[in-house]
Amino acid sequence: MNTTSINFKSFVEWDNSPFILFSNQGKIIYLNNASEILFGYVSKQELYDIALSYAPKFFGYKTTTLSLAYDSFLFYAITVGYENETEISLRLYNTPRLKPKHKLETKKLILTDINILLEANIALFRTKNTNPLKLLTDQDLPHLKIDQNNFSKLLRKAFNAFKSSDSMDVSLKFLIGKHVIIEEKKIAIVQLVIQANGRYNDADDEIQVLATQSQIKLILKENAIYLEIPLLV
Amino acid sequence: METFFTTSQKIQHIIKSFNLTKTLYVSSIIIGESHTGKKSLARYLFPNATIVSGDNKEELISALEHNDELIITDFEKINNHNILDFSNKRIIATASYMGNASIIDDIFAFIYMMPPLKERPEDVNYLKEYFIKEACNTLMIEPNTIDMSKLYLNLSKNSKSLKKSIFSYINKQTMDDKDIQEILYHYLLKQLKGNDGYKEYLGLYEKPLIEAGLAKFGSQLQLSQILGINRNTLRKKIHEHNIH
Repeated sequence: MNTTSINFKSFVEWDNSPFILFSNQGKIIYLNNASEILFGYVSKQELYDIALSYAPKFFGYKTTTLSLAYDSFLFYAITVGYENETEISLRLYNTPRLKPKHKLETKKLILTDINILLEANIALFRTKNTNPLKLLTDQDLPHLKIDQNNFSKLLRKAFNAFKSSDSMDVSLKFLIGKHVIIEEKKIAIVQLVIQANGRYNDADDEIQVLATQSQIKLILKENAIYLEIPLLV
Repeated sequence: METFFTTSQKIQHIIKSFNLTKTLYVSSIIIGESHTGKKSLARYLFPNATIVSGDNKEELISALEHNDELIITDFEKINNHNILDFSNKRIIATASYMGNASIIDDIFAFIYMMPPLKERPEDVNYLKEYFIKEACNTLMIEPNTIDMSKLYLNLSKNSKSLKKSIFSYINKQTMDDKDIQEILYHYLLKQLKGNDGYKEYLGLYEKPLIEAGLAKFGSQLQLSQILGINRNTLRKKIHEHNIH
């Protein structure tokens, strides 16, 4: 098939996965739309360094499977390639969003004051830890429908990840401007953030499973855990 | 109505957390050594909840079917955890040990560790006074007639051994000649055998006699005079009974 007459630029431009072309000086020669958003969360230098580290030994293209996470952007592989000495390309492959296997049975959920669950979990955490904890919360948040047991397990594990931090900041607030679609309805989001100077990541997989079961979006960072909880009423 | 006393910071946090989740449908477990007050705490916090033991499978299954709020004691005795459906129920379980940590972690949202009595000195003091009062009432003894300065509190089995050591101490303090003779009589009736019984069992009397005498009078010389025996004989007896 003769493809030389086809201009592929717009296909790359509108690809959902980020594509960046660097010069041999590390300057950006070209980037597609998806990478523009990504650069809000990662520096040019970091991605250039990754491109150099995973570049093939000779001219050509090399795909490497690896896990990269920049805020909520997750990638499972990259392709680095060059055909001359002046340009090197990096393409990052978006990790597919898993559709939750288990459907949220909203009818079985109980309207809950999320502040009570949060405070109970803080009291539980306090039975084992004495590190200072600052809590900033919105007492006026409406009651929301949630699986109380499952959400409590999620909170326990999320808090445990900070068990030996010097001090912790916990905040619970209404996330303005963001929504999630559940059962074809637009649902507002409440965001819970736990952050400290460091955290354990050994239970990350379990936290992810529990969050997915409650259709909570989880963002794991080096020093923080973000939970975006749908405000089902 | 069940009451629960504690000054332990850890248990105060447990109570606070339970009070917050009192109206929620979550599953909680209190894990700790026997006789640390797990069941009392659960009954104090949930006075109207049905109580069932993990020991009795049929009863447990039926209780789970018919109740939304349930206290399950001896959770470690449940073999098959697949029979448990805790969804939208308020479950408070107690267990003497963790057992399979991953199962506990999987089933329960709130996992509390009850500290043993030796980590709760203020609670020990409170329980000591409580049990002394109870012992004096039961044994019909005036509390101020007993010297408590030599009371040794055994905490190896938490409140059970603590209570036993107090009852036993108070009981011993109030015995008279007749009681002691009676105790010795029953003991000897059971134990006496062999061919050197006289010498062997004389120690039952001799050892406490010399020990108490040395504690009271200090020197062997003075004690030999009090006892009216030769100093060398006393020395020999001290050596024989290995008294320091």
